[in-house]
Amino acid sequence: MEFGPIWRAMMRNKGGYLLIALQIAVTMAVMVNAFAIMQERSKKMSRPSGIDDANTFSLVSVSFNPELDAKTLVQEDLDLLRGLPGVANAVETNSFPLRQGGWSEGLHREPGVGKSVSSSAIYFVDEHGLDTFALNLVDGQNFAPDQVSWDSDSPDFWPATVIVTQALAEDLFPEHEGSYVGKTFWFNDENPANIVGVVERMQAPWPTWTGIERSMLVPLRRESEFARYVIRTEPGYRDELMVQAEELLSGSNKDRIIRGLGSAEEARKLSYLGDAAMIKILSFIILLLTAITGLGIVGLASFSVARRTRQIGIRRALGATKPAIVRYFMLENFLVSSVGVIAGGVLAVGLNIVMVQAFALTPLAWYVIPVAMIVLWVVGQVAVAGPARRASGISPAIATRSI
Amino acid sequence: MLNMKNVSKIYRTDTVETHALREFSLTVEEGEFVSVTGPSGSGKTTFLNIAGLLEDLSDGTYELDGRDISKLNDKERSRVRNEKIGFIFQSFNLIPELNIFDNVDVPLRYRGFNAAERKRRIEQSIEMVGLGSRMQHLPAQLSGGQQQRVAIARALAGEPRFLLADEPTGNLDSQMADSVLDLLAEINAAGTTIIMVTHELGLADRARRNIFVRDGQVSDNAPELHLASMAAG
Ligand SMILES: Nc1ncnc2c1ncn2[C@@H]1O[C@H](COP(=O)(O)OP(=O)(O)OP(=O)(O)O)[C@@H](O)[C@H]1O
Ligand SMILES: [Mg+2]
Repeated sequence: MEFGPIWRAMMRNKGGYLLIALQIAVTMAVMVNAFAIMQERSKKMSRPSGIDDANTFSLVSVSFNPELDAKTLVQEDLDLLRGLPGVANAVETNSFPLRQGGWSEGLHREPGVGKSVSSSAIYFVDEHGLDTFALNLVDGQNFAPDQVSWDSDSPDFWPATVIVTQALAEDLFPEHEGSYVGKTFWFNDENPANIVGVVERMQAPWPTWTGIERSMLVPLRRESEFARYVIRTEPGYRDELMVQAEELLSGSNKDRIIRGLGSAEEARKLSYLGDAAMIKILSFIILLLTAITGLGIVGLASFSVARRTRQIGIRRALGATKPAIVRYFMLENFLVSSVGVIAGGVLAVGLNIVMVQAFALTPLAWYVIPVAMIVLWVVGQVAVAGPARRASGISPAIATRSI
Repeated sequence: MLNMKNVSKIYRTDTVETHALREFSLTVEEGEFVSVTGPSGSGKTTFLNIAGLLEDLSDGTYELDGRDISKLNDKERSRVRNEKIGFIFQSFNLIPELNIFDNVDVPLRYRGFNAAERKRRIEQSIEMVGLGSRMQHLPAQLSGGQQQRVAIARALAGEPRFLLADEPTGNLDSQMADSVLDLLAEINAAGTTIIMVTHELGLADRARRNIFVRDGQVSDNAPELHLASMAAG
């Protein structure tokens, strides 16, 4: 190949080529790191919540009847909801994963005043909680109906049994090996809780919380004018059942309003709104930078072709075919891009190290750099194709016709 | 080897049609050294461009080595230029960002020779024009005469059968011009066919045959030159 003379010719005219190589390098560094952030965000967004997002929705009943019998109303509502065709199960609870609002509690490994060793999101449920949330019970068992109590009947508030997530169990008992069923911890340094079941996963309501995987089901029902119902439907029935459930509850009791109707999917979307926006902005920045770099390459190549019109004519006169002229500019661009992407690779890794330290970003995946290199090489070749084709159209007669 | 019959070349712009060549006919035999003279604008360069396959002809026929040139596509024409024809231009036309060695190398790379073969030819032809010590110099670091010698070396490195020169001494003083002419005479003596366009009758006279172009045609009417050369011969 003719790399030698092309390289030597470029070295006699470095300025423009260096600028473009630098532009390519910076584009690559930003591109690679923006991509790393995007990747991290999208990984965060794709974490499973543990519940059946697609077929779950929720609504709230707020009663304004001063003589409300909450226990009865909630039980009637649940019976109605569970009786709806297409409803798989329903539960009254305080929150659900990624709702961005909920209850959390510090946990102790021993009774008595002291620092809590862990913390967890709390979901108050009855024995239908496990099934309504469609959790994967990996150890132990569900609550028996007699383990579920109303807070008004429960002097210590906290019941004695819980179902925890795997992540919470591991955080509470890091040294422990084997089954966590039967292990005990303490709420608020005085109320013991016995683990009766372990579920694979159930996220907390707060998407940015570092302890998002730590949560538990607590078999307690709270008497209140507020009641949040979570309903899981058979696949495909969610949207129609959302309408029906709202109408059903509104119609069954006139002394309340139904509000907060929304699907788990919407809640999930809302809670990752910032991440989704970040991904969009970063993609846009990557596209923009790549386009600017592409245009820069087009500009440099056009300038280079114009500056060399005569030389191209001479080359044609000396026997260069049109493809040979195209190839010249392609190779030249390949060399500039190569300098750019190699410098860009170094710059990208450097920037990544800084970002890993400053923002606790996960380090780059190995393939991102070679992929970015290939992308920029291709962008360069595409950008240079137009000017190179124009160059190949220059007439060899230029050699005798110009002074 | 070169045979043009009734060749015409018309340049068209939006407003004017220029008949640069009309019914131009010429035969040049293998080994000849032909000079072409004529007034400015008479079509000398146009003829050379067509002869050298740098431009298409509008009408007529042109055979080079028995091949009808009008039937060749761009790739084949490039190849003929590269293998059979050497060009020498008035303004040297070296590539400014390449050194002497790389300049001479240009047509050899298009020819597809391997590196060793190219090196041998480059060194040999640069030695031949007496610039063996200047291979790493850039064109701008040489005098005009030296640059034209490099151009000749570049034209010869591929051992073309056919050398086309358009005012090769036009930018040189008379001493330099003489030495370039000596070089061309030497090359012709070694068997290369040469066609040289020139303004200077004195130089034209050193060719073995002179043709005079007027109004885009070969003119029989160039008395001084023909008489001078006939008297001399
Ligand atoms: N590209 C072109 N477009 C239009 N007209 C052209 C073009 N090239 C040459 N001509 C015209 O063709 C005619 C012949 O030009 P040519 O260059 O062959 O003359 P010449 O004999 O080489 O002149 P000189 O001795 O000045 O170099 C001129 O009238 C010129 O103006
Ligand atoms: Mg001319």
